[in-house]
Amino acid sequence: MSNFPDPIRAGLERGWKVLGGAHGPLPEKISCDVAIVGSGAGAGITAELLTRAGLDVVIVEEGPLKSSSDFRQRESEAYPTLYQESASRKTADKGISILQGRCVGGSTTVNWTSSFRTPEPTLRYWEQHFGLDDFGREALAPYFEQAERRLNISPWLMAPNENNELLRRGADKLGIPSAAISRNVKGCWNLGSCGMGCPTNAKQSMLVTTIPAALDLGATLLVEARAEQLVLAGGKVQSLRCIAVQPNGAPVDAGQPATTIVAKHFVLAGGAINSPAVLMRSKAPDPHGRLGTRTFLHPVVMSAAVLAQKVEGWAGAPQSLYTDHFMDTQPIDGPMGFKLESPPLHPVILATTLPGYGQAQADLLTKFPHTHVLLALLRDGFHPEAPGGRVQLRGDGSAVLDYPLTDFVMEGARRALLAMAEIQFAAGAQEVLPVHEMARPYRSWAEAKSAIEALAMKPLLTKVVSAHVMGGCGLAGSEALGVVRPNGVHWQIENLSVHDGSVFPTSVGANPQLSIYGITNRLGQGLAKRLTGASEALA
Amino acid sequence: MQRRSLLKLSLVSGVVLALAGGAAVLLQPGLEQGRLSASARELFTSLGRAILQGTLPADAQARSRALAGMVDRMDALVANLPPTVQAELSQLVGLLCTAPGRLGLAGLVPAWADASEAQVQAALESMRFSSLTLRQQAYLALHEMVGGAYFSDESTWASVGYPGPLVL
Repeated sequence: MSNFPDPIRAGLERGWKVLGGAHGPLPEKISCDVAIVGSGAGAGITAELLTRAGLDVVIVEEGPLKSSSDFRQRESEAYPTLYQESASRKTADKGISILQGRCVGGSTTVNWTSSFRTPEPTLRYWEQHFGLDDFGREALAPYFEQAERRLNISPWLMAPNENNELLRRGADKLGIPSAAISRNVKGCWNLGSCGMGCPTNAKQSMLVTTIPAALDLGATLLVEARAEQLVLAGGKVQSLRCIAVQPNGAPVDAGQPATTIVAKHFVLAGGAINSPAVLMRSKAPDPHGRLGTRTFLHPVVMSAAVLAQKVEGWAGAPQSLYTDHFMDTQPIDGPMGFKLESPPLHPVILATTLPGYGQAQADLLTKFPHTHVLLALLRDGFHPEAPGGRVQLRGDGSAVLDYPLTDFVMEGARRALLAMAEIQFAAGAQEVLPVHEMARPYRSWAEAKSAIEALAMKPLLTKVVSAHVMGGCGLAGSEALGVVRPNGVHWQIENLSVHDGSVFPTSVGANPQLSIYGITNRLGQGLAKRLTGASEALA
Repeated sequence: MQRRSLLKLSLVSGVVLALAGGAAVLLQPGLEQGRLSASARELFTSLGRAILQGTLPADAQARSRALAGMVDRMDALVANLPPTVQAELSQLVGLLCTAPGRLGLAGLVPAWADASEAQVQAALESMRFSSLTLRQQAYLALHEMVGGAYFSDESTWASVGYPGPLVL
């Protein structure tokens, strides 16, 4: 246990209303002004705004309430307790592994703090193709500024760790511009453990900012409670049925609704797989067949390199430098562009990501301290051949994402593997291993280039991961083009809003954390105004 | 050669049918109440020996202890998976623990406990590059489970040069 003050335990001692799991049985029925499903980026921002406007809010979270005292920087504890499906969530064909939070604070509790405003070309595309006329850079700027102030988002001024510095060094050699990533931290210890929950409360996630603010203002938080179904009648949500779940997500009492929530308004903010799934289980109207479609992942491919010097990719701010060169130099709706970053490295994530077994794997793993990794986030959703995936329900009502990795996507993945290998050799790599079952470590750029050009770019052979789930309840200026209106309200259900990454009509083309904060800040302020007449703002 | 491939394919197709539910009742599930069955523990010990060859301790006793620890951690990991994932895994593991399933899915003749590291590695290689999605998926799942369970414990970190997190 760390010796840092724990704002969650202190809040509970002050009398926060938290129920579920170890905090006491869920109430059979509860009434409020607004019920919010989820407690991540969109939910937290919305909860703070609505409670400040004087509304009685209930927050429903499927995962547990954990906090700094529980965060011991161990993958063995973090993945099972803080991530969806013990961090082993997969797409339907198992072609993509998805890292997504499942705890109070959602993915903001476990993400790597990278904060980008929504890129302008993305906003322009939304305007042109989805009728979002008021989503320009200037229109959104005040909402981003507020979120940045509230969450201490600013450029990271400490020297990057070697894992990130190698990206800049290699890019510089090739004349490729790179830049610093803004992070949402205050008093960061530079531990590198962001993905396992911040033990010092430096990361300004929803867990330590908006959720405590909402609880201090009287909100109720239900944990280990899954939003199962909205009860719909007369074009409105009448109530929300929740069930109590065990740590692995299995119902505590199969078939028995634990809680019925009656509210004036409902906000879905469970993330881009779970929000569409709640609507599907509720048989929500979907006259244009949009629900759960166009779900995007920024499919990620990776390239590992071995350097002569120590890299120690586990130490220091996880992601602090990036390049958008391979997005900015080509049209948004052309062949897939990609963003390059350096992810943090820890033993479990490394061993489950690097290909091979036996002596070949042992050879790779013993070089761990000298290993550097680049990742490429592929910008999906802007081309007809990159329509993303579709959320579906299994027989038991749980959600699964079907995301076909098309030849178009895999062609982008090949260009990304090439770009990363070239940068890594330019940075001085002794060998580079594209993360692909058929690849092996290559000793020169020329050797890597010809090998990557010949690799079979197929799903299950090429390692593809994602930590950015977006879309499925898209915003649109007309009913036929999306699931929710430009103000976040469902096109067919008047007292239901969606405030999370599922509202993006395409992928963002950048780590989506700040996009969710900024855009749900605007949606939340609009909702507070409509429900109370009061004007509220973050910070 | 071609006849042999055909035979293999039909066997695997049978396996696919079984996974679809048709013959599932004939299988012993790989998980019992969310925990690894005795034969599942044998399977993962054998896979661990092959996948982690070169990483495991050289001393025979220490190696056995390391593998037993990995299987215990895998048991805990499995208990934490959601019911749908557990059910899928139970079928896969149950299948691999039958002789036809082991042969059809992994292409391995001897029982897991009797197979040499090289034989298990050859089986893994045939799954990894199989043209059948199911076999590839199985390889990736087994690889991920072994690596994840093994390296989740601090006792293994020294073997990869990871000092562990900074003590606060």
